[in-house]
Amino acid sequence: MSIVLEQLRKTYGETQALKGVDLSIASGGVVGILGPNGAGKTTMVEILEGLRQPTSGKVSVLGLDPQRQSGELKRRLGVQLQSTAMPMDLTARELLQMYAAFYSRTSPVADVLHRVGLEAKATTLTRHLSGGQKQRLALGIALIHDPELLILDEPTSGLDPAARRALHEVVRAYNAAGNSVILTTHYIEEAEALCDRVIVMREGVVVADGTPFELVGRAEGLSTLWIECSGPFDPQRLEAAGTTHHGLEGTHHRFTTRDPAAVIVALGEVLRSQHVTLTDLRMKRPTLEDVYLELVGEGDADGDPAHVLEASR
Amino acid sequence: MSQFRAFTALYRGHLLAYKRTRTAIYWSLAFPLFFLLMFGFVFGHGNPDDTRFVMPGLFTITIISGSVFGVAMRIVTERESGILRRHRVTPVSAVAVVLAHGAMALTMLLASLALQLIVARLLFHFDLGAATPAFVVVLVLAGAALIPIGLIVGSVARDSRSAPAIANFLFFPLMFLSGSAIPFMMLPAWMQRIGRLVPTTYVNESLQGVAVRHQGLTQVAGPLAILALTSVIGITLNGLLFRWESTEPVRKDRLLIAVLGLGGIYVAAYFLAPALGMATFHPRS
Repeated sequence: MSIVLEQLRKTYGETQALKGVDLSIASGGVVGILGPNGAGKTTMVEILEGLRQPTSGKVSVLGLDPQRQSGELKRRLGVQLQSTAMPMDLTARELLQMYAAFYSRTSPVADVLHRVGLEAKATTLTRHLSGGQKQRLALGIALIHDPELLILDEPTSGLDPAARRALHEVVRAYNAAGNSVILTTHYIEEAEALCDRVIVMREGVVVADGTPFELVGRAEGLSTLWIECSGPFDPQRLEAAGTTHHGLEGTHHRFTTRDPAAVIVALGEVLRSQHVTLTDLRMKRPTLEDVYLELVGEGDADGDPAHVLEASR
Repeated sequence: MSQFRAFTALYRGHLLAYKRTRTAIYWSLAFPLFFLLMFGFVFGHGNPDDTRFVMPGLFTITIISGSVFGVAMRIVTERESGILRRHRVTPVSAVAVVLAHGAMALTMLLASLALQLIVARLLFHFDLGAATPAFVVVLVLAGAALIPIGLIVGSVARDSRSAPAIANFLFFPLMFLSGSAIPFMMLPAWMQRIGRLVPTTYVNESLQGVAVRHQGLTQVAGPLAILALTSVIGITLNGLLFRWESTEPVRKDRLLIAVLGLGGIYVAAYFLAPALGMATFHPRS
């Protein structure tokens, strides 16, 4: 287990940032913590990093207490904080050299520059790097001592898709070497593309936890089916199987349902009895994004408002 | 050992960043030079005898500004921008971070003092001859005593607006009560007494002793001991007061310890000074 949390609570004055979080995270995966602003994501990871003290509850990271055994934890943990702050008047190489000196065992700086794709920027001052390059440099700093666990707080926030993908590649390569990653994000695509486990938080509690595949399966949202047949087809028969018919879209009948599996089973029966054959079947399951919006509430959702509209359709 | 390596790396980082900042170079080198010319021509009347008399005061002022202003601001800026927070999740210790800032401040201070010494020699024939090494020892010790105070200001200041305010608040008593702006002997007796409570009085005293009264280091051992003690206590207090993040509160109890600790040295000095013949009226030689 790389992380075990038991009844973790954190209050700031009147505000309860974490309201009793229980979690255990195995080693070797990429775990995404997803949630709107104010869900407690940053508070939680900063407790894991030892930057904040929990109000109550148990925390164990790599088998260590982040408060009492912070010395050893810092040697084994790589961290990228939410806001990237670094001395602006040093070059990428100088900065990595500086951070390398804080650890007893490190990767060669040239290797790290290569891994984060900044070889060409080695002698560029940090202040002249683009947002994506700065984030990759920050990731390089987090990786300099070959940590066994990497905690990234919104590593791709504000980056364009290409820069985001470049950063994903670095994280994947690091994970492929057998290391664990925990990252917070409010990009659903990021969680889906990068994580093998997604933890959804809302208002200081975990509201969902599973692989992206499992979470989609747990959705209560509607699936849409489009059915095209060789001849005339009475949609009412299928409505009896728990669907709603929405009329024709071109040559396709459109149905929505909460139980697509039952509808498919019924569909065979209906077609046979009406002596028509199926010429096309399309289905759209709820996406992770739909699930996410279901869980955190659409009003609270971050990101593109168009997504919210689409999901509330 | 590894913390020493971290200290060296941070110090190197500060040096590299400094080299690339023109305004920093201006403030630490050009400004003291401007002061030197003013002191040399206005108070020293451009002649070597008078210059020799006013130079210790000038060097004291350079030491005050080099130790209380710049370093306090650099600590606050690193804390506010989150650089210190980033350091905090690595194994680097607070001591390494503070000492690297201190070493950087001392380097800049010694560079500006060296420049002042060279220009003073060329323009005003300020030549200390055999007393030069002793003079340098005093300068280094004075920097080592006052820079920790600047570091404390950086750790105690709430933000980048309050740091210069605190530094200014310290600057004027450090300058005027020490006799570096106006010679100590010209101060009224009550101000001379208050002056005994101020660290820079002992800086000025030692520099005067070496440069004007031809004293050796052993003859200024009293004020030097006070400075050495200030340095040790100051560095220790930094360990207590250092803050990695702006959101960390300043520990009031520790601040009290700091004030009592540093204050204690100078209250003791106040009572010991007359007995040791320190910070008292010295006729011009």
